[in-house]
Amino acid sequence: MKRALTLFLAILAFASVLAATELKLDVKEHVLSNGMRILMLPNHTVPRVVCHIYFKVGSINERPGITGLAHIHEHMMFKGTKIMGVTDFAKDAEIDKKVDELMDQIYREKYWAADGGDKAKLALLQKQFDDLAKSEKQYIIKDDLWNLYMKNGGTGLNASTGNENTGYYVTLPANKVELQMLLESDRMMNAYFREFYSEKDVIMEERRLSENQAGYFFNEQVNAAFFAASPYHWDVIGWMDDLKKVTKADLLEFHNKYYVPNNAVAVYVGDFDPQTIIPMAEKYFGRVPKGPDVEPIRTSEPPQFSEKRMYGEGPAPTSLQIMFHAPKEGDPDTAALSILASVLGGGGGGMRGFEPDPEALAAGPQVTRGQRGGGFGGGGGTGRLNKILVQEKQLAVSVSASSQAQWYVGAFQFRATPRLDKNIQPEELDKELWSEIEKVKKDGVTPEEMQKAKNRAESSFIRSLSNTMGLAGRIGRSELNRGWRTIMTSLDDLTKVTNDDIKRVAAKTFVKDNSLTAIYKRKTGR
Amino acid sequence: MKKTLTLACVIALVVLSVGFGQVQKPSDLKYPPLKFEPPDPKAYRTEYANGLRAYVQEDTDFPLFNISALVNFGSLYVPKTKTGLAQVMSGSMIRGGTKTREGSAIEERIDFLGGSLNFNAGDRTSTLSLSVLSKDIDEGLAIFFDVLMNPEFKEDALNLSKSRLINQLRSANDNPSGVLSREYQKVLYGDCLLTWEAAQKGYEGITSAELKTIHAQYFFPKNIILTVTGDFKKADIKAKVDKIVSAWKNKAATFPPLPKSFPKPEPGVYFIQKQINQGYINIGHLGLEDTNPDYFAVQVMNFILGGGSFSSRITMKVRSDEGLSYNQGSRFSYRWGFPGTFSGYVQTKSETVGYAISLIENEFNRIRKDLVADPEMDTAVNYYLESFADTFQSPQSIMSGFANLEMTGKPMDYYKTYRDKIKAVTKARVQEVAQKYIHPDQLVIMIVGDWEPCNKGGDKWPGPLDKLGKVHRVVLTDPLTGEPGKQ
Repeated sequence: MKRALTLFLAILAFASVLAATELKLDVKEHVLSNGMRILMLPNHTVPRVVCHIYFKVGSINERPGITGLAHIHEHMMFKGTKIMGVTDFAKDAEIDKKVDELMDQIYREKYWAADGGDKAKLALLQKQFDDLAKSEKQYIIKDDLWNLYMKNGGTGLNASTGNENTGYYVTLPANKVELQMLLESDRMMNAYFREFYSEKDVIMEERRLSENQAGYFFNEQVNAAFFAASPYHWDVIGWMDDLKKVTKADLLEFHNKYYVPNNAVAVYVGDFDPQTIIPMAEKYFGRVPKGPDVEPIRTSEPPQFSEKRMYGEGPAPTSLQIMFHAPKEGDPDTAALSILASVLGGGGGGMRGFEPDPEALAAGPQVTRGQRGGGFGGGGGTGRLNKILVQEKQLAVSVSASSQAQWYVGAFQFRATPRLDKNIQPEELDKELWSEIEKVKKDGVTPEEMQKAKNRAESSFIRSLSNTMGLAGRIGRSELNRGWRTIMTSLDDLTKVTNDDIKRVAAKTFVKDNSLTAIYKRKTGR
Repeated sequence: MKKTLTLACVIALVVLSVGFGQVQKPSDLKYPPLKFEPPDPKAYRTEYANGLRAYVQEDTDFPLFNISALVNFGSLYVPKTKTGLAQVMSGSMIRGGTKTREGSAIEERIDFLGGSLNFNAGDRTSTLSLSVLSKDIDEGLAIFFDVLMNPEFKEDALNLSKSRLINQLRSANDNPSGVLSREYQKVLYGDCLLTWEAAQKGYEGITSAELKTIHAQYFFPKNIILTVTGDFKKADIKAKVDKIVSAWKNKAATFPPLPKSFPKPEPGVYFIQKQINQGYINIGHLGLEDTNPDYFAVQVMNFILGGGSFSSRITMKVRSDEGLSYNQGSRFSYRWGFPGTFSGYVQTKSETVGYAISLIENEFNRIRKDLVADPEMDTAVNYYLESFADTFQSPQSIMSGFANLEMTGKPMDYYKTYRDKIKAVTKARVQEVAQKYIHPDQLVIMIVGDWEPCNKGGDKWPGPLDKLGKVHRVVLTDPLTGEPGKQ
């Protein structure tokens, strides 16, 4: 009884923190007449400004045949414009047009003919292509935009493509924000996609890098089986066939449709006065013509109606995944699922980077996979599943739970690695996990578990306020979906979750017919 | 803003009017002046009871409290027979509890408070870090110092930590990048404490008593530097910490001798078979220490060679021009008290492995042979000067930067003099350090990939790979047993 009282006092003490400190996200907004939104959050710690632009376009805006195009397009945005990356635009464009015409002939011969085309003809065309590409080089200034940002102290320089949005990032000295406005508005209006074909080669190498990670192919298939109809079916990187066959015409159509100011938001976080940013934005981004409205995607994920199970063997660690379809971001049930993931999930690998990998891959324009809107989970080593399956029963090396509400779909996912040294198999963990799931459906969570999850959500929000780059990302991405204020309202929704909510959403979500179970076993090596 | 750091920044951003010219291209832009002076470590340094050093910064923006202990202890201080001890310690320092607290209770409480507590042991330094809301400073401090001073490494936590490490061994050869990184170091440093690895039996043999002994040997006030940031008054924190550590005794730590020189590996190709569709490649040899006066010139040189991403020669040639790879470049890694490694790196499809290597070797030779161009120099030097303030993004990163300088014995005016040292680098110095630290005749070319297609090559560079040098086939050890595996 005494313990319960102490706990209660601790809960009261915590609940007052956010309210007492009046911490809030004080974003300044400005909307240009072409529909582009400018969001600003001053932070004067250091004389730098995080400058991000997000476009409401990602792999879900693709279709079979052009999968991977959102990401290809992101790479191509670094290839210059009518004024950047080129010494003589007219001469370059003349050659580039011929390059495209030639490649169109090569693609028709190579990919349209059932037998792979006439080899001799292809070799001849390829030779002509190589010569043209070589002659174009004299007009190309390599990586001009990148160099210019670097020379001006740009850091965090990158871009990433997700399922739903694409971001372009640079952090600059506080006196150089104008450079970003000039360069970014220029590439919105005047992008010119030279070196398209060699860049596709680069992207195929990027896909191979993923393929060579143990277990990648199985996980790609699991994702494709889980999302059967919606465009979340394919990975952001796209299928290799589409990477090979996608054309310059596809790229231009995609650019003109999605890279319009009314489909974009610019975010500035750092050392500036909003009153200096607004006239600059008017001048640079204001000159970009408004485009047609963009239709939301049409195909959502239909109900599954029967359980799915997948089995795989290969060179990766033995593991178990159980996935359930869940509501999309903004649905009232997502808050309870987030709390539940926090309560259940936990443990992870248990080791926090003993030695950083000195050969870790360097940065470059990249794909951000599985970029989730309301990702929430974990729970340190104190999650319920970790306590029961890892520590008490010693059946698993690690176990986690996560709730991911995306813009059009959602997923709740369990992952576990069995104790092979004790001859535990994934099938046994499957049964154990279901027994825990049934308990949650019946009894929900304890008051202490609930409060812990809420406390963690609040303190994690406070911490996120001091991370300027991370914050710019959250503000920009949430603005493109339901508005940046949802960062605060989502937190508020979490604090209101009750145990009845938990039991209700657990009963609704954790149903076999709504699930995919994936069991993977190591076939070779250990 | 209340931060001392911000006071040092004089930003003269002129209010821009709507009519600020019709700028069409970047060269038309005129930037207002901006001055930035880095913070001075002396302003933040203090000493608590028993000579416990600390870098402390008040930061009232958010109701948070962060404290870290940087301890002069790591895996390199562990005897060969106990290799793996530092890793086991990483996994059980907190979870293993203290004399008066159960590990599970510590984790539960920290989680309940919405805080975090982590311990990590590296080469020669270990870090315990706590972050809690500032209302929980007292409770946080009590737990933090209890873990730091009195860990018990209880049996159940030890076993869990070992089982996770052993499970990681099962996956140690799964991913090509991990294999490449580990084996490259083995060839460059040879068989020494820098490359010893624990196998299953090694982990299993580590005991709680051994962990306590080594903890007692290295965890004492004078062997630790704290960093403290957050919403508090310095004097209050001093009083609280002094009280907790007043009875914590100092000792005379002995640090084992560390190797000063390394056997030179035979140059050539070191091939590791893995059935994948690319070759993962490192090309290089040992580098230098970051205390070397040439460090700044090497930074600029490597930026131009392959460290400056798209502004570097290797990326421009191998990726932009040839479309051979997604990730490529060159790097110098640095380690406290040893030369680090130098490597050119790339991952490319099997048939272009030889070609990509030849292009990178060309760039090694070119930067030694010819002076770099003015625009390259301009971009590299300006990048370091203009992005300098980025290092000081948060009070935590600033304080931990200072603590690391002091711990590793670097000059405390490192940041103050940094820009002058970069500015002093000339084209001639770039060439000089390229010749001094890049040795084309000593290259270890390590490839993880599928032998047949890699060795065959392609149109632009037909194989075999021994055109690049003598081929050594590396047989991986079985990570669980430490014995040579089957190839």
